[in-house]
Amino acid sequence: MAVSTPALHDALADLVGPAHVLRDPVARTRYAVDGLVPGVVIRPADAEEVSRVLALCSSERLAVVARGAGTSQDLGNPPRRLDLVLELGRLAAVREYVPEDMVATVETGLTLAGLAAHLAPHRQMLALDPPAGGARSVGGVLATHASGALRFRYGTGRDLLLGARFVQADGTLTWGGAKVVKSVTGYDVPKLLVGSLGTLAVLVEATLRLHPMPPATRSWQVALPSHAAARAFLAALLDSPLQPDRAALLDAAGLRRAGLTPDPVGLLLSIGSVAEAVEQQGRALEALASGHGGRTEGIADAAWSRLGAAVDAPIRLRLACEPRRLLDWVAEAQAAARRLGVETALLAQPGHGVIQMAVWGSQEPRRMGAELVRPLRAAVEAQGGSLILERAPAELKGDCETWGSISPEILTIMKRIKSEFDPNDCLSPGRFVGGL
Amino acid sequence: MPLPPQVLRELERIVGAAGLVVSREGLLTYECDMHTFYKGAPEAVVLPESAAQVAEIVRLCRRERVPIVPRGSGTGLIGGAMAPEGGVMVSMTRMNRIVEIDFANRCATVEPGLINLWLSQATREGGYFFAPDPSSQMVSSIGGNASTNAGGPHCLKYGITVNHILGLEVVTGAGELVRLGGKTHERPGYDLTGVMVGAEGTLGLITGVIVRLTHLPESVKTILASFSTIEDASETVSAIIRAGIIPAALEMLDEVVIRAIEEGIHAGYPKGAGAVLLIELDGPVAEIEAQAAPIEAICREHLALEIRVARSEAERALLWKGRKEAAGVFGRLTPNWLLQDAVVPRSKLPEIMRELQAIGARHRVVIANVFHAGDGNLHPLICYDDRVPGELERAKHANEDLLHACLRLGGSVTGEHGVGLDKCESMPLQFAKADLNFMARLRRAFDPDSIMNPGKLLPSHPACGEGFRPTARPLPTGTWI
Repeated sequence: MAVSTPALHDALADLVGPAHVLRDPVARTRYAVDGLVPGVVIRPADAEEVSRVLALCSSERLAVVARGAGTSQDLGNPPRRLDLVLELGRLAAVREYVPEDMVATVETGLTLAGLAAHLAPHRQMLALDPPAGGARSVGGVLATHASGALRFRYGTGRDLLLGARFVQADGTLTWGGAKVVKSVTGYDVPKLLVGSLGTLAVLVEATLRLHPMPPATRSWQVALPSHAAARAFLAALLDSPLQPDRAALLDAAGLRRAGLTPDPVGLLLSIGSVAEAVEQQGRALEALASGHGGRTEGIADAAWSRLGAAVDAPIRLRLACEPRRLLDWVAEAQAAARRLGVETALLAQPGHGVIQMAVWGSQEPRRMGAELVRPLRAAVEAQGGSLILERAPAELKGDCETWGSISPEILTIMKRIKSEFDPNDCLSPGRFVGGL
Repeated sequence: MPLPPQVLRELERIVGAAGLVVSREGLLTYECDMHTFYKGAPEAVVLPESAAQVAEIVRLCRRERVPIVPRGSGTGLIGGAMAPEGGVMVSMTRMNRIVEIDFANRCATVEPGLINLWLSQATREGGYFFAPDPSSQMVSSIGGNASTNAGGPHCLKYGITVNHILGLEVVTGAGELVRLGGKTHERPGYDLTGVMVGAEGTLGLITGVIVRLTHLPESVKTILASFSTIEDASETVSAIIRAGIIPAALEMLDEVVIRAIEEGIHAGYPKGAGAVLLIELDGPVAEIEAQAAPIEAICREHLALEIRVARSEAERALLWKGRKEAAGVFGRLTPNWLLQDAVVPRSKLPEIMRELQAIGARHRVVIANVFHAGDGNLHPLICYDDRVPGELERAKHANEDLLHACLRLGGSVTGEHGVGLDKCESMPLQFAKADLNFMARLRRAFDPDSIMNPGKLLPSHPACGEGFRPTARPLPTGTWI
């Protein structure tokens, strides 16, 4: 059955109301995924509607891509086919929040900023701050395993998602995990869903571990004269009793775009604790930095929310390496970009070995693939790391694939999981690793 | 059903004669874990020395459709490491090396049989430790900890085992030997590491673990606060969390347990108190000093009888010894007991403690408590005497009422011990059919022939609830909760 048939649209309109079925061709182009325009966009009101829509899609074998705020639709291979975009923005309710439990259950279309506003009066937070994250949806951040500077202390969605309500490909509403901070009852299903890019199920509700906002916070930029100095300082910092809660490393271009002093390497750190500890650790931090030739200056808290601007480019690579090799790969990435003659900016996660490299330039995709992506990927994969295209035009993805290589044995297991839960290949078909 | 002789011959070829146990006396050791109610000896125990041997064992057992039961140190509390259907038990005790300590990447690679505490001992001089600290850590293995996703007192601050596992080497039930995750913190694809942790050996066998190492805190402060009633202590716990302070550990012991500990271990807990809180802060000096003051104030507001701060490492160790070895003194309390591990939302702690007392009174059983109060993870110990007719039944009813009460408050069946054989019949109380079905399919993706630790974790097997009558047995000499 072709998706454009009026009968199907009418059936969908019956499920979600005609006002939430977007058929207009021009409007639909805004929901294109890698150039593929969906036949229809559906905006369900709640989990039950998502369930009914997916049940219909399953029986009609329609290909569905779920969408939160739409800020990371670029992640993934171009879908093999696309009939319907499921826009989850109307699922934006806070379902349960007991501040004393430090746990909240929210619908996944809620934005991080919306959630933060809800928690702030109780001086609590969801410790997830991916670049430009305020506008992103909870579900999108979880499905893409996005993270930011707060990862340094609090981890990622993997560590913060306690329970999940989700809709399987056939429309079955399902629950996994728990609503308490500690539970080992059954498999840790939330772990399976975090980072699965909507290929196994559509997340509709998330039960999240929250944290108290520190009573006092100060932020610093540590300017370091060279990669070598940065490497030594970072190693010393990690090996010290200092406990920053946020950390980010940027190159000069990244610092400039974030509105900060463009030092050769800048390490942004914040310490959140009781005021006395912030003062004490701040002094220790300055002493440690100056011992490594670093200059420390205080920065406004607002600087953290500008990190997204540092890497807001049409092409963005994400490189993961052994944490201790972070500065080596920063240098490798910069050198590769220089050889190609493209403008770049880097934002990295110290302690976790993750580098986001934004690329601006008019190089044709084939050259970009051959001279930047593929050689860098081959080098980092040879050392157990990975390089993915976090954002890229479809031509570049076509040339060098989003995710890189994966061991065939592991891919076999992942394929078995995918075919168990989405046997008709309806959920984001082809977008994930190995064409899953 | 006895294993065919040629299977035994092949097992011997894989692990050598020294790595194969088939004698009746030899197998006795392996017929149960610390949950001694459940007994089921395997037909053979193999003690492999490498991942390659483990893979060969799994492929052989898959070909022959023989059940496989993994076993670490056998300190589990859920009947997870016993063989209700016989088959081959794979004991990891000979795979117990530290393969590599990599301080620069803040991780270590270990074999699954390595004892938890040994890793922290090996990394302490370098300034690091392995944060998950189940009370059994001096004997339990890291592979077992990963398999059950073990908790421990300090997971309140540091997170449970899964938060500290970067990678695993596993042999799936399909016989694939794969390395999941690794020293890099991100990897494209599904988080199979996260799924394997806590799977209790039902998806595959863990043959190697890459763990995160945590920097030792700059300082530690251990506070003991005693209260005349358990209500006051519970309200104190809720008030501390409400104040936005998350201590490293926040443990509660009730009157019955305090008395037994003092008789057995002499940890210096105040006798006669209705409840004791053990509160530990760690981190930068200035931070813990600044947090200690409001905590002490909250304790006083809730009518603490005594607030004592450990003044030396020796005093601190003694306070923790009482807590960590509490279960070992249960023999002083009762000839038999049922142990729960349910969780409630932490704001519900005062409510569940009231309910628990009512349940004990209603069923005329003593319920003793020693548990991880900060995250609402209860460990009620329901005491009974098997020789007194009717006591076991009353204890079981109390157990059921308590579990239902926890779930009614939005809790969970098990916080850290796991499901195993013991709690699989409780799974439908927490999960709907569709949820359990999802888990069963996930299992099938790893273990297509259902050979991995059958009868555990999911309620699909007759072994759940039927056929396993508790037996009157002396208490195990060392038990940790």
